[in-house]
Amino acid sequence: MVRFKLELARWARGTMLARPQVHGLVGVRDVDEQIMDEALTRFDGGLRLFHMHAEGMGTIVILTTMVAATWAPTAGWRRALVALLTVGGAGYPLGYLVWAALIPYRGVEDGKRLAEWLVWIPFGGTTIIAMWLLVAVLVMQMARRS
Amino acid sequence: MRRPPLVVVLIAVIVMALGETAGAVMSQLRPQTERYALARIAASPAVHGLTGSAEYDDEVRARTVFAVEAGLSFFHTHAEGLAPVMLVVATLVASLVASRRLRAALYALVTVGVLFPLGYLGYAAAVLTLGRDDGVAFAERFMLTPLGGFAILGVLGLLVALAARRAPVS
Repeated sequence: MVRFKLELARWARGTMLARPQVHGLVGVRDVDEQIMDEALTRFDGGLRLFHMHAEGMGTIVILTTMVAATWAPTAGWRRALVALLTVGGAGYPLGYLVWAALIPYRGVEDGKRLAEWLVWIPFGGTTIIAMWLLVAVLVMQMARRS
Repeated sequence: MRRPPLVVVLIAVIVMALGETAGAVMSQLRPQTERYALARIAASPAVHGLTGSAEYDDEVRARTVFAVEAGLSFFHTHAEGLAPVMLVVATLVASLVASRRLRAALYALVTVGVLFPLGYLGYAAAVLTLGRDDGVAFAERFMLTPLGGFAILGVLGLLVALAARRAPVS
């Protein structure tokens, strides 16, 4: 993002200019520049959110799978929790990369809708379910001890 | 590495799970959240300083909704960020602090400190209940500062305990 900022912006801008209908470009410089500026801001935002979520979710995957490996009651539970936490946590941040890549081709809103259905909802949903299953496992362990 | 008490792990994982869920709620239910916030503002015009002047009131409403959404967003980021940190701190306490009493004190600080992100949920609720400025001041004074203080004391306590450890004689 830092090293290739200019190249990325240039590529996104060129791809958008090649698809004026997708972005609602009308051929009036003042109007089109504003539309493209907004789309480029979202494109940059998508890359930043990918960076941030990849760093955050990576840490969470390591820690939650450690907790699952320590406290899961059976090998089956352990395997299921580790698989769900890993797949969900590793896949979710990629949604921001997919969104950013789709913006020049499909526009901000359509790109977001696609990223939601392709990545955020399946992988984010998996992570949320896995997290609450892990909470349930910990509560069961606590009840068993008391 | 030794494992920290189950209750510390449970609370940290609950905060992480809440943070994950809040992220999904923020993205999928954003229009509903905004509508709810606007309805609450409209229900208490005096609290929010609405004057009846459309232009001014729109500005007040926009700033208040922004503060509520910021509270939810900060809750999401802090829950995902602080809870893992506190889990690591508790694991280090379990593994490296020899004194049982000191360990218990540090676990207590870490367990309360991990609740810090919930202060941002309180922040969002307080903004809607008390108005933007009073709500922010209330949340900072009664939720964020004390809970954050416990988290800071927990980490500092671990640092002091580690610094005070005797180096093994070779």
